[in-house]
Amino acid sequence: MNKHPKKQKQNEEVHYQRWYRRWFWPGSFFMLLFVWCLFALNISPRQFWEGIPHFFSLVSEMFPPNWAVFTRGKVLWSILEVLSMAFLGTFLGTLFSFFLALLAAGNLTPSPLVRTAAKWLMAAERAVPTLIIILLLVVVVGLGPFAGMIALAIGSVGMLGKLFAEAMENVDPKPLESLVSTGASKLQVIRYAVLPQVAPSLIANTLYKFDINLRAALFLGVVGGGGIGFELHLAMSLFRYADALAITVMTLVVVWLAEKISDYLRRRIIGQEVLQ
Amino acid sequence: MIAMKLTAIKTLSRYRSYLFPVSILVLLLWGAAVVSRVDPAVLAAGIPRGIDLLGHMLPPDWAAFPQLMAPALKTLQIAFVGTVFGILAAFVVSLFAAANINPNRAVRETMRGLLSAQRALPDLIILLFFVAIVGLGPFPGVMALAVSSVGMLGKLFADAIEEVDPRPMEALVAVGATKGQIIRYAVLPQVMPSLIANSLYRFDTNIRMSIFLGAVGAGGIGFDLVVSIRLLDYQTAFSAIIVVLILVLACEKLSDVLRTRLFGQEVLR
Repeated sequence: MNKHPKKQKQNEEVHYQRWYRRWFWPGSFFMLLFVWCLFALNISPRQFWEGIPHFFSLVSEMFPPNWAVFTRGKVLWSILEVLSMAFLGTFLGTLFSFFLALLAAGNLTPSPLVRTAAKWLMAAERAVPTLIIILLLVVVVGLGPFAGMIALAIGSVGMLGKLFAEAMENVDPKPLESLVSTGASKLQVIRYAVLPQVAPSLIANTLYKFDINLRAALFLGVVGGGGIGFELHLAMSLFRYADALAITVMTLVVVWLAEKISDYLRRRIIGQEVLQ
Repeated sequence: MIAMKLTAIKTLSRYRSYLFPVSILVLLLWGAAVVSRVDPAVLAAGIPRGIDLLGHMLPPDWAAFPQLMAPALKTLQIAFVGTVFGILAAFVVSLFAAANINPNRAVRETMRGLLSAQRALPDLIILLFFVAIVGLGPFPGVMALAVSSVGMLGKLFADAIEEVDPRPMEALVAVGATKGQIIRYAVLPQVMPSLIANSLYRFDTNIRMSIFLGAVGAGGIGFDLVVSIRLLDYQTAFSAIIVVLILVLACEKLSDVLRTRLFGQEVLR
């Protein structure tokens, strides 16, 4: 049937030789690195086995969840705190980002110096992990949701500013030019030519960032930002596992609801097309 | 005069539809400001304190750098091992979640459901649960990173697998190849680029997470940063900040270089 079985076999071999030659060294380097890391971190299958009984004892200690924890005003209040931090932080972050994006957009800011400075500032913020921002803010304004809120506002600028600037640079230039030719001021150009075009992407990205910030706000609580993340960490550290489970369930419900609301608003405000 | 009044009324009526949503927004913002204890006085008092802090941080404690190398390496190792475990788990799950590999609809839907449930789970909760189960240290950190990567990676992998060219697969099925052979020879070569690109992207995310995990108790550079700030040792803190920034930027650069090296110009995300 096959006229050249030998030749085909050779071709196959060549193919595998090439494949292995390409991936052999990177692959073995990767494996060695991985094994070395496992040894350096002291990670072994034993830890999995030893974790299993701990897991079951944890579960038995968590049930039934202690819903009474919400009768303590502080815990209930911390849910509001985390929502407020995320909401206000995202709002202020959006405002900052919008102004920075105006300065960074090539079609709105003619000065290359200002543009580069604005772009550099946003890139610098993106590089800085939020942990650094919150730790410094706690020193400056003290522990609590205020520090967390500012950290979220600052932490939003890098990503939102970049996305907003890109959206502004991609607007249709015709309305812009016609407004400029009628002698409109800069503000009028932004209000009537730029804003209507970028509004959908602006709103969609802001709502998306709110979802991210709400999760980040949980983390900030652990390092001094206040909110339900702090309460959860506290309950876990004090081995109050039944409280912890109740708080966990509540956190999940709140995060889920917030996501549903932002989804609803996105659809309501900008129609079916969901931009990200 | 009348014309001016008329345009004013016209403008007002144009904005009237915004009145209700905007007033709700203002009300919410005000409430949020009260709850998060926004206080301009605190901020005003904080600014000189911030400048003072900067003065205390400069110059960084150069002698601390050698001591910070080991924790930085640990952060890197935790991120790496966590990401690799996450990739392995995500790949296995994605095979069960892809319609062209797994014909069983019930299993597929369950896997997709699990993946989206994981994505809905905040990472902090995952981490705190692992800390409660196995105690502090790098192991819960690795597990938290692995589990938190599965949802996103698994979905992206499954979508990539479903989008492969079906012809090589059909040809292999026709010659009677086993499932393992189909995956190895028809699926893997096609999804490899997107698999590696997404994994590298996830590694970038995980290195930041790993820094944060250190602060919560997994060990590594994040822990040193938090401790030095708590001890008011701001010069060491500044050194730790520099190390963190170098770590983050170097990893981003490395994954960028790898991405372009492996796939040429087109950068998949």
